[in-house]
Amino acid sequence: MDYNLTTEEELIKKVAKEFSESVIAPLQEEIHANNEVPGEVLEGMAELGLFGINAPEDLGGGGASFVSFVSAIEEIAVVSAGVGMIMSVNNMGHTLINFLGNDEQRKKYIPKLVAGEELASFAFTEPSTGSDPKQLQVTAVEDGDFFVLNGTKRFITNSNLKGPMIIVAKEESSSPMSGKATAFVIDKHCEGYSLSEPWDKVGVHGGPLFDVYLKDVRIPKENMLGDSGNGMYVLKMTMVFAKVGVCGICLGVARAAYEEAVAYAKEKTHRGEAIIKKFEHVRMALTEMEMIYNRAKWVTYHYAWALDGNIGDPFVLAKLAAQAKVEASEAAVDIVRKAMGVLGSYGCVSDYKLSRLWGDAIVGPQVEGCAATLKVMAGNISYLA
Amino acid sequence: MKTLNYVVAMKQVPDLQQLRIRDKKPVLTDIPLELGKIDKNALECAVNLKEQHDGEVILVSVGNDDLPETLKDGLACGADRAKFIADNRVDNLQSAQKAELLAKLIEGLDDVSLIFFAEGSADNYSGQVGSRVAEILGYPQVGYASEVKIQGETAIITRALENSYEDIEVALPAVVIVVQDLNKPRLPSVIQILKAGKKPQERIDLADSSYEAAELTVCYENLAPDTDRKMQELSCSSDLIEVLKDLGVLER
Repeated sequence: MDYNLTTEEELIKKVAKEFSESVIAPLQEEIHANNEVPGEVLEGMAELGLFGINAPEDLGGGGASFVSFVSAIEEIAVVSAGVGMIMSVNNMGHTLINFLGNDEQRKKYIPKLVAGEELASFAFTEPSTGSDPKQLQVTAVEDGDFFVLNGTKRFITNSNLKGPMIIVAKEESSSPMSGKATAFVIDKHCEGYSLSEPWDKVGVHGGPLFDVYLKDVRIPKENMLGDSGNGMYVLKMTMVFAKVGVCGICLGVARAAYEEAVAYAKEKTHRGEAIIKKFEHVRMALTEMEMIYNRAKWVTYHYAWALDGNIGDPFVLAKLAAQAKVEASEAAVDIVRKAMGVLGSYGCVSDYKLSRLWGDAIVGPQVEGCAATLKVMAGNISYLA
Repeated sequence: MKTLNYVVAMKQVPDLQQLRIRDKKPVLTDIPLELGKIDKNALECAVNLKEQHDGEVILVSVGNDDLPETLKDGLACGADRAKFIADNRVDNLQSAQKAELLAKLIEGLDDVSLIFFAEGSADNYSGQVGSRVAEILGYPQVGYASEVKIQGETAIITRALENSYEDIEVALPAVVIVVQDLNKPRLPSVIQILKAGKKPQERIDLADSSYEAAELTVCYENLAPDTDRKMQELSCSSDLIEVLKDLGVLER
C-alpha cells in the first residue's frame, strides 16, 4: 500500500508548515495568553485556501484529498492547536453541508466557508447530553413556514464567529418523525441568538468555545438539513467526517512535544555531554515517542485515505474514525507525558512550551466523542451490527 | 508594445533540512527534491514584473526524471509554463554543461526580456551557470541584483555590493543574477498548487537538444568537513573570553 503523499499533497503540507512557522508562531504566545486568534492569521489562511482544501472545486474549494487536509492541519497544530481547532470545525461544517445539504444549501454556505469569509460551527452537545439524540432538550417547533428554536447548546467552537451553525434539535411538528432529533442550519448571530462568556479551557487556546442560547430563533423550513428525524444519522456522519480534523490536531500536538524533547535533549548537558548522547534512557524515551507518533499517524492517514473514496461503507468509516481519534488523542497525551520525563521540571514551567502542549494534549481525548464512547461505538459496529 | 517574457532558471536540489550525514557523507537516498530557495526569489521577482508589465513567466530547468513533479512548485508560485530537460544522466553534469543545455532551452523562446538566475544553488553553489549562459547567448549580465525595474527597452537593476548599492541600466534582453534579500517569495494557495499540474510543460529530449554528449564527470568523494564540538561548560563570560583567546578566535 502506497501512503506517499502526491506532489500536490506535499506542496499543500509545505505551505501549511511555512505559514504556521512564519505567521502563527510569532503570535503563539499572544494567542495563548489572550485565548483569541488574531484576524491576520485567519485572513492569511483564507488567502491560501486552507479552509477549503478538500471542499468541492465547483464551490470554490481545492478539491484535494482528506489526506491533504489532515497533513495540513497537523502542520498548523504543531504551532497552534487552537488555530487548528477553528480550521477543523469549519471543515466539519462545510463537509457536512456538502454531504447532507441540498444544492441550494451547498451554494449558499460552502463558498463562503471555503473562502474563510464565514466559519462554521456544529452544535449537538447540550448541558444534559453529549452524544445521545434522545436526550436533546433544544426544541424546534413548527410554526407555519418556520421552525422556532429554543434551548441551550454547550461547548460550541467558532460560535462567536460569523457563519452558519449546524444544529441538531428535537423537532416538534406534524412530521411522522416529530419528536425525534433533526438537523438544521442557522445563521449565527441571528435574532434570538446569544452567547455565554467564553469557556476558559485548560488548553487549545484560541479555539473559541461558548455556550449558545437560542430564544425564539425563527428559521425558514428550508433550513432543515437533510430529512426530518435524521439526528442520529447526522451524528453518525459527523462521526465519519469530523474526527479527521481532531486527529490531525492531536498529531500536531504530539509532534510538537516530541520535537521539543529532542531539541532539549540535544541542548541539555550533563557533566559536559548532551543528555541525548549521555543517557540511553533518554534515547529510549525519544524512540518510544516516535513509535507512538508513527502508530497514531498511520492509523489517522489510513482513516483519511479511506475517506477519499477508498472505503464506501459508512459503518467501516465510522469505526476507522473512532479508532483513529482514540489513537491520535491518546498518543498526544502519552508523548507529552514522556517528553515531560525528558525535560523534568522544565516541562512544568510556562517558559517552556511543553506545559502549553500538556494542556492541548489533555483536551484531545475529551472532544469529538470521548475515548470510552468511541470505543463502545466502534465495538458495537464490529460485534453487534 | 512589445511583449516582455521572463525566463527563470530553476534547479532541482535535495531538501537540505532532511539531509542526513553518515560517515561524513551526505545520504541522498529518499531525500525529496525541491526547487532552490534563491531560485524562488528569482521567480518571485519575475512574477512581480509580469504583474506590472504583462508577458509570461517561463521556467527553464535541467534535471532528473522527477523534474516535472519538482517544477509544479514553481508553476504554483506564478510561472505560466515550463520548458525542461528531464533525464537522469544530467545529474552528473558540470555547471558548464548544464549552462549549455539551459542556453539551448532559452534560445528557442520568443520575446525574452530578462533571464533570472539565483546567485548560487543550495547544493553545489558554484555560482557559474548564470554567467556562463549570458556568455553563450551573448547577453549582458548583472549580478548581485537586489531590485529589478523595467523602464521601456531597458532594465534598471540595483546591485547589492559589500558596503553600498549600485544602479545599472542594462539593455534587454539581459541575464540577471539575484541575491536572496531581493524579496520574500509568496506562498502559493491550495488552488494554485492544484492547478499547477495543468499548466503547459514542454519536455525536450536530451538527444534533441543538439547537445554534444560531453564527458560525464565522476564524483569520487563528497565529504562533510570535520566538526570538533567541544561542548565545554563555562561558568561565566570572562571564562568564555579566555577560551576564545586560547583558540585564536579573539585577539589577545
